[in-house]
Amino acid sequence: MVLGDLGNQISSALAAMSNTTIINEETVNNLLKEVGNALSKADVSMNLIIQMRKNIKDKIKLDQMAAGLNKKKIIREVVFEELIKLLDPGVPAWKPVKGKPNVVMFVGLQGAGKTTSVTKLAFFYKSKGWNTAMVCADTFRAGAFDQLRHNATKAGIPYYGSEEVKDPVMVAKKGVEIFKKEGAEIIIVDTSGRHKQDNELFEEMKQIETSIKPDNVIFVMDSSIGQAAYEQATAFKTSVKVGSIIITKMDGNSKGGGAISGVAATKSPIIFIGTGEHIPNLELFNAQTFVSKLLGYGDLSGMFNK
Amino acid sequence: FMKYFNVLTGNRVITKQDLEPILNDFKTHLTKKNVALDIAEKLVESVGTGLTGKKLSTFQGVTSVVKQTMEEVVTRILTPKRNIDILKDVQNVKGKRPYTIVFSGVNGVGKSTNLAKVCYWLTANGFKVMLAACDTFRSGAIEQLRTHAERLNVQVFERGYGKDAASIAGDAINYAKETGHDVVLIDTTGRMQNNEPLMKALSKLVNQNAADLVLFVGEALVGNDGVDQLTKFDQSLSLIADSTRAERRTIDGIILTKFDTIDDKVGAAISMVYSTGIPIVFLGTGQNYTDLKRMNIKSVVKSLLT
Ligand SMILES: Nc1nc2c(ncn2[C@@H]2O[C@H](COP(=O)(O)OP(=O)(O)OP(=O)(O)O)[C@@H](O)[C@H]2O)c(=O)[nH]1
Ligand SMILES: Nc1nc2c(ncn2[C@@H]2O[C@H](COP(=O)(O)OP(=O)(O)OP(=O)(O)O)[C@@H](O)[C@H]2O)c(=O)[nH]1
Ligand SMILES: [Mg+2]
Ligand SMILES: [Mg+2]
Repeated sequence: MVLGDLGNQISSALAAMSNTTIINEETVNNLLKEVGNALSKADVSMNLIIQMRKNIKDKIKLDQMAAGLNKKKIIREVVFEELIKLLDPGVPAWKPVKGKPNVVMFVGLQGAGKTTSVTKLAFFYKSKGWNTAMVCADTFRAGAFDQLRHNATKAGIPYYGSEEVKDPVMVAKKGVEIFKKEGAEIIIVDTSGRHKQDNELFEEMKQIETSIKPDNVIFVMDSSIGQAAYEQATAFKTSVKVGSIIITKMDGNSKGGGAISGVAATKSPIIFIGTGEHIPNLELFNAQTFVSKLLGYGDLSGMFNK
Repeated sequence: FMKYFNVLTGNRVITKQDLEPILNDFKTHLTKKNVALDIAEKLVESVGTGLTGKKLSTFQGVTSVVKQTMEEVVTRILTPKRNIDILKDVQNVKGKRPYTIVFSGVNGVGKSTNLAKVCYWLTANGFKVMLAACDTFRSGAIEQLRTHAERLNVQVFERGYGKDAASIAGDAINYAKETGHDVVLIDTTGRMQNNEPLMKALSKLVNQNAADLVLFVGEALVGNDGVDQLTKFDQSLSLIADSTRAERRTIDGIILTKFDTIDDKVGAAISMVYSTGIPIVFLGTGQNYTDLKRMNIKSVVKSLLT
């Protein structure tokens, strides 16, 4: 599944390197070209790829490597490290705190999978014994509240929304207030889809953030997104305090490289991936396993210790 | 356009060596504009083959020749080979039977919204339009369509959730015939192109009801996955045979949505049309009913090459 093809491509590029006996400038260049192509096919931002190739080159100083060192192994490790670095912003993932209300706001482009993932996340915490609730602050999209209501009902989670009030800021505020009073521990607020080219929509998003003061803002990204990912993600990050990412639709054929751009742009970790349309189709994300899977290897930590 | 070194020569023959670095830069440029890597490679390759051995006219740089050729090639790709005139086709069957259009595509790309825009457009052109709520799976899908129908003052045919979409479509078409509707717009559930049972179900819906026009709705945001989506949808339509047709059932046209979210990263348009030859019928350029546009090939080519 996930990034499988990309993994195979990179693995075979690494294997090809292992098969050549002489490691020189050209071998490294060929390897980097292969890795670059694989990442490009997976929709990783072109600028990130160029940067990554440079980083790897800087790290691999062939002429300075002492004789007897396993150069191939070193190069391989550098590629691993750089890939992981791309997926891991180095900040710990946000965790809700027991015994107090944790407000989580979902944001993202149109159709990315926010509303679906809101229920999935609420259900995830509910299954772990948390007292959760959902608020529909999407007053724009036709049928948005019905969608959230159906999902919430299916998952057995309390929800709030309004048919009459058209101001999403008011609805968000009211919903959060109600559930805080009721002692909900995790209150998830769904918002409309929006894009950086529309200032009004971004302004609205900031107002919602100001009025509900979320403890975490989750940026939801469609795994099939191409080169526009980086700029869109950057725009969201600069407008609201994005703290985590959820990548959706990983059950499709897309390689999910846009996710890497999303991480780079928002400096936020991917916390979950969506793997289907049903409520339980949400998996915890782990950068290390993700990359070792991606490269077709089992456990990465094992590799480094050898 | 990028910082190519301009080789100023008169009446010189263009060599492979002249072209290579320039074509390489072009490939990177196209990839940054969100052209799928495979397609970008093929494009520069064909430009390269066409130019090798050609004579440069006086004071013409290789770069500018490449750019000009690329412009011609891309324009040719985007210029439709077959013309789709929906208004004329609807007019042709008007009074005899309703004309039927199916909106298909992966999850969240904008099928239902752009169906509503097409409804607005057809209504404005004097046709009596009906919507068929054949997404019987996604929460809120029927209410979403109902809301649009109310706003657009048209009828929506629905049979609730969980039912067989193909037979609802059939009933809707019969009902439309009885009630003197000119067009039936059929909304379908979003599905991943690698989900075989769901792709078969789409094929059944299309063929069992001998739809007049099948549109693939795709996002301009999509990266390398776009070509795979479109090709798989195209191929899957013939999974279940249509007895009324001699030729293989295929996707007739593309609606490329969210064009307002990509700035100048127009590559998805090129990737999709290049790989299948299926024409782009409309661009979706926003979330309002009037945000449905014809593609301006010149301006797309300009965005791609600057
Ligand atoms: N296959 C698959 N489909 C998904 C996944 N997550 C969401 N979807 C589907 O993607 C479509 C869009 O999801 P929504 O949750 O409505 O997206 P949204 O971001 O709330 O959309 P807007 O509110 O319009 O911006 C729906 O058809 C969902 O069922 C996933 O992980 N896998
Ligand atoms: N910016 C922008 N948003 C669009 C456009 N077309 C659709 N959308 C938005 O994209 C989101 C998804 O649209 P839908 O029409 O529900 O998509 P769908 O393909 O029917 O989704 P599913 O039925 O869940 O698979 C909504 O928020 C729409 O408002 C467009 O051209 N531009
Ligand atoms: Mg939503
Ligand atoms: Mg829909």
